[in-house]
Amino acid sequence: MADSADSPVETPESDKTLETQSDREIDSVPSEPPSTSGVADSPSKAKTNKIDILLKATGNAPIMKTKKWALDKDKKIGWIIDFIKKYLKLEPSESLFLYVNQAFAPAPDQIVRNIYDCYGSDGKLVLHYCKSQAWG
Amino acid sequence: MANDREVLREIWDGRVPVCFQLDSSEVNGLQAPDPYYLMVPRLSYFPLVTDKVRRHFQRYIHPDKHDAEMWVDFNGQPLKWHYPIGVLFDLHIPEISLPWCLTIHFDKFPEAELLHCSSREAVESYFMSCIKEADVLKHRSQVVSNMQKKDHNQLWLGLQNDKFDQFWAVNRKLMEVGSDETFKYIPFRLYQGDEPFIQRLVKPVTEEGQRKTLFQFLQEIYAENASKVKVTTHGVEPPSDTPLQWMSEHLSYPDNFLHLCVAF
Repeated sequence: MADSADSPVETPESDKTLETQSDREIDSVPSEPPSTSGVADSPSKAKTNKIDILLKATGNAPIMKTKKWALDKDKKIGWIIDFIKKYLKLEPSESLFLYVNQAFAPAPDQIVRNIYDCYGSDGKLVLHYCKSQAWG
Repeated sequence: MANDREVLREIWDGRVPVCFQLDSSEVNGLQAPDPYYLMVPRLSYFPLVTDKVRRHFQRYIHPDKHDAEMWVDFNGQPLKWHYPIGVLFDLHIPEISLPWCLTIHFDKFPEAELLHCSSREAVESYFMSCIKEADVLKHRSQVVSNMQKKDHNQLWLGLQNDKFDQFWAVNRKLMEVGSDETFKYIPFRLYQGDEPFIQRLVKPVTEEGQRKTLFQFLQEIYAENASKVKVTTHGVEPPSDTPLQWMSEHLSYPDNFLHLCVAF
């Protein structure tokens, strides 16, 4: 996994970067919520391993104020699920489901790169999240 | 596709002999349990075939651990329950002598390496999600979303109860194509050692409209290294001129993905 040496560069206001701490494993929930302010933003996606993910609420899930996040493609789906749960301040016991194409839920250990290569385009990947099973 | 039905049957009947042993450090008491031998279907998943194994070893472990989640390792490597058994076997072929000796654990769950599997429902929802994903790739999700709940159940029960006819009565709808048609994209996962598997968008036909062979597919993924790649699936090495579309229809696992183990 890549080192988290993202250099801080300016980005459009709506763009924030998911903090990439390479020592975070999918099954160990980050000890503190990824900071949503003053995080090292990195728009230099072309040369890095990053894509934009667009997180859309569905069903009864609360909406995230910031929907677009830059993310390292080597991250696992479970990392995004943990991130959203922290962001929305959900209890660890609450479920959160993440869907691709509003059709299927990838496994938490699936690598974002695989999902992006198949279902993303132009550096962007849309994911829907939900607090109950939406599309099976 | 139904012309090659005997291939489907052969694939379905694939079994591997397994010798399960309890981790010796988890034996509570003086008497160590006997190993437990089982022929397990390649196409199944460990949580679907290890109920008896669990019951066999349960009385030898510390009572506090009776309800703990059971997990399996081979040579110290935890085995992912959500990979089909045949994929796990093929991934470790060079190290395996038969029967395949696996160690059973009820303690020290490797959180960083394995997903939790609380029940068969966890396997079911993972399995169904794979089928849905495969149908997104093959038919833009058209077939699976037009199925009824009972069809979904039949796929799952067919796999769970090892009923070929029950499973294929529904699965054929997911595998059907007109005589000159192909799937839009081929659902596949490429495994190499401990690396995360690779998934890409690959069409079954070339830009000229020819059916792609396995070798052309490998060229697309591995470029000039394609000729060095050895592909194993269901314990066999398919010839490099096998059409990719045919492989998808006949050699896919019940989750509708081709699971190909590669070595260089």
